[in-house]
Amino acid sequence: MRLIFIALTVAALALPASAQQQQQTTLRIFTGGQQRPDVMRKIADEYQKKNPNVKIEVEVGGATSEAQQQYLTTVLSSKDSALDVILIDVIRPAQWAAQGWAEPLDAYLGSDKAKILPAYLKAYADADQVGGKLVALPYFADAQFLYYRKDLLDKYKRPVPKSWDEMMETARVILDGEKNPQLQGFSTAGAPIEGTVCTYLVPLWGTGSDIVKDGRLNLDTVEARQPFQLYGRMKQAGVLPKNIAEIPTDRIRVDFQAGNVVFAQNWGYFWNRVENDADTKVKGKVGVTILPHDQGGKSATCIGGWQLAVSAYSKNKQEAVKFARWLSSPEVSKMQAVLASHLPVFPSVYRDPEVLAANPWFADALPVVETAKSRPVSAQYPQVSDAIRSNMNAYLAGTKTTDGALADMKSRLKPLYK
Amino acid sequence: MTARKDLSERALGVLLLTPAALLLAAIVVYPVATLLWTSLTGVDNANPGAGEKFVGFDNYLRAFDDDRFWHSLWQTVVYVAVTVPAALLVGLGLALLANRPFRMKWPVRLGLLLPWALPLVFAGLIFRWFFEYQTGVVNDLLATVGIAPQNWLSDPTLATVAICTAIVWKASSFMALMLLAGLQTIPRSLYEAAEVDGATAWQQFVEITLPMLRPAIFVALIFRTITAIQTFDIPYAMTGGGPGDSTETLAMYIHKTTLDFLDFGYGSALAALMFLLSMAATSGYLRYTRRSAGREER
Amino acid sequence: MNLNRRAVVWLSAVIVAVNGFFPAVWMLLTSFKTETELIRSPITYLPIAPTLANYVTAFTAQPILRFMANSVIVAGLSTLLCIVIGALAAYALTRLRMPHRNLVMSLLLAVAMFPLISLMVPLFKLMRELGLLNTYFALIMPYAVLSLPVCTLVMAAFFQDIPPDLEAAAMVDGCSRVGALFRVVMPLAAPGVFTAAILAFVNAWDEFLLALTMMNRVSMRTLSVGITLYQGEFAFPWPLISAALVVAIVPICILIAVFQERVVGGLTAGGVKG
Repeated sequence: MRLIFIALTVAALALPASAQQQQQTTLRIFTGGQQRPDVMRKIADEYQKKNPNVKIEVEVGGATSEAQQQYLTTVLSSKDSALDVILIDVIRPAQWAAQGWAEPLDAYLGSDKAKILPAYLKAYADADQVGGKLVALPYFADAQFLYYRKDLLDKYKRPVPKSWDEMMETARVILDGEKNPQLQGFSTAGAPIEGTVCTYLVPLWGTGSDIVKDGRLNLDTVEARQPFQLYGRMKQAGVLPKNIAEIPTDRIRVDFQAGNVVFAQNWGYFWNRVENDADTKVKGKVGVTILPHDQGGKSATCIGGWQLAVSAYSKNKQEAVKFARWLSSPEVSKMQAVLASHLPVFPSVYRDPEVLAANPWFADALPVVETAKSRPVSAQYPQVSDAIRSNMNAYLAGTKTTDGALADMKSRLKPLYK
Repeated sequence: MTARKDLSERALGVLLLTPAALLLAAIVVYPVATLLWTSLTGVDNANPGAGEKFVGFDNYLRAFDDDRFWHSLWQTVVYVAVTVPAALLVGLGLALLANRPFRMKWPVRLGLLLPWALPLVFAGLIFRWFFEYQTGVVNDLLATVGIAPQNWLSDPTLATVAICTAIVWKASSFMALMLLAGLQTIPRSLYEAAEVDGATAWQQFVEITLPMLRPAIFVALIFRTITAIQTFDIPYAMTGGGPGDSTETLAMYIHKTTLDFLDFGYGSALAALMFLLSMAATSGYLRYTRRSAGREER
Repeated sequence: MNLNRRAVVWLSAVIVAVNGFFPAVWMLLTSFKTETELIRSPITYLPIAPTLANYVTAFTAQPILRFMANSVIVAGLSTLLCIVIGALAAYALTRLRMPHRNLVMSLLLAVAMFPLISLMVPLFKLMRELGLLNTYFALIMPYAVLSLPVCTLVMAAFFQDIPPDLEAAAMVDGCSRVGALFRVVMPLAAPGVFTAAILAFVNAWDEFLLALTMMNRVSMRTLSVGITLYQGEFAFPWPLISAALVVAIVPICILIAVFQERVVGGLTAGGVKG
């Protein structure tokens, strides 16, 4: 008798659960190995608590933007429906829109769109809109900063430089004073990697010019030569590392952390590592400010960060868009800032006391992030990037002159900007 | 009686080759057919929504005019011309050294095979570190003999040298393995007889070792050449094609065109051209064996 | 004279061992260093303040043992498949009077001549249609095919050297042709078979591109792809990756050390007979 009672109770308890399970949707979100999948998992768990009928699986891809894109290219070219939400680099939306891989979100957001978009940092919201369509939502921001050794600048009584020439002079003074053969004046990305595109663009933007003007290639100007000439001067002044053409992004951090760099141009992740790593030699000595500009110009920084796109081949688009919207909210932006030190995409979150407690330097970071400019927006961005970085690298290695590098860049970019 | 035997032999032969044929059909023939078809199509990547259209041999003609294609082809030829003979020589040397009677055999054999056990990608990265300007082992060793540190990976010629060194290090292990197996099938009695006849070590090498190694050398060379034509991982890891594009190989250009630029049509055409190059290279080898085999049969 | 000989033998051993071991030894030493120490100038060879932190991270940050198990399964099974199919093909090419032998051999070579990148998208689509993505089959079959040409030709080269009378004797005793293949020819061609097996195994072990594409679930990743997961968007933590590589290489070393005995053992017998 008791057994029957127990069986009935168990059955009664089991019923609602199985009824719920019948409605369950599973969403798969793809993230790279370096965008803190562990934090993504925590965030996804929060969503699952609020939405019991949705199960989120986090798929972790390759570590670099390139490795991820290669994998995604293969998968999306075969119209695979396995992925619902995909985390993409800020340089990808135009290409994804053209290839038809990202589901346009305008229809799903409807009138909400006008409410949501202005809340973001402008450059980041703009980066996700291609040809009038909203192709992705910002997840976290990034930008390049000028990091410097406060202690060395204080020691030689030099102010924080505002122009490139000031920075070169200050670096030269410090190098002469320190007489340390391992010390580098200024380090930035020089290897043939994506970061080197910014190495060319930031000085160019600092003159007030840009690569593309009114949809047309704009490289016949005097300003287009500036980045090359600037680095030529820096090389002559002995301020750059001798093997600058080999330097990838993280090597700058390792060198800075070991105390061997005065000025460094690098991304947001830099701060936490050089301040808080166990073996850092520069704790408490790091300053961060906006990148220099040319005399008479205005500073600009290179935009970075990751965006949430919904796969055009997903079988659960409604749910996926709902999830992506939540992920792109101020609430989650704050979670990311506190747990992963990701730069927020909402100016309001920078001023949140809990966020500032975890990342005090965000107060300095906000003005820099607000000057972010997009790298050239093009459906064929990989070719654009290739043309720019290959020539910047060749110039830094000394295998091309300013004229040669510029000519090659022009000839490669012309077919893309007809 | 012989006719039936012939027929049954032929039938058996076909039967034995069937599993291989099936596997190849699925994994290679189908993708290759798709590849060749794709090479005849093109997509306007500024407007991919318009779909792909048949462009005939346009992609192939485009390669003809493409400086970057010719440069990467030239760079590939350089790598093949340098690393195939070098790997053979170094491999032969290593195999001969490893063929001696050691009391403890495993350290030598392991030393021979370890370069092979290291994944190609990481071998490339390790050598990249070795040739690094400030903290590389090579510059450190040069400093001990008073030579100034070289900017290996920032100079086109030096970078090519560095890359070839890495490739030869890895590939010589493969060659050594093939040649060692060949060496160890040469009966000692031949050498003993030659010694009795008063032959020097060099004569023994030229008249016994080399001829008996010919089939092993042949197989090793063919595969080494085909692999050399497809050189990708090591330059990719060491220089990423830099400085500029000077160390970019054809395989790297195909990779970039296909997976980065999403220009599948052009990438497929380049791959087909790479195939023709491999055919040309190996047909040379095959003709040589047919001739020498014919000579031997007489 | 004897001393001279012995010195030469020793020197040979040292040269071969150093050539093979030095990057591995460098990796081993690096795995005990920190990143900052790695960029010291002048460089250090022995670690100044050796640390085991990298090994701890190597095991905890990613399921490296799982990666290794996957690699072993995929490489092992594909090698087995390749050897069996290759032996059959090699036998047909060398022993049986077949028309168009050269054509077949050329086709076999032709297979090896297409760069893998270009076959990727159609291959991925095929595996997806067959529902084989994220299963071991998705890699075992392509890997077997990748090494099929080289294994077949290597084994063919060795089969050719074995006199046909031995099989004839076995067949007189009632053995079938295929039976003769596996019971007489292959044991005699052991060095060739083991060479082909090692080649196929390491080809599969090394492979990166296909493994990256066919297996996207972390639990199914192979070693060569898994190790790159330690890498950062910008960072390449050499000490950590060296530690992971050391963990990955050690079992392969043991495998090879054991394996090579059989290669030697198999053929010294043949040598003496010769």
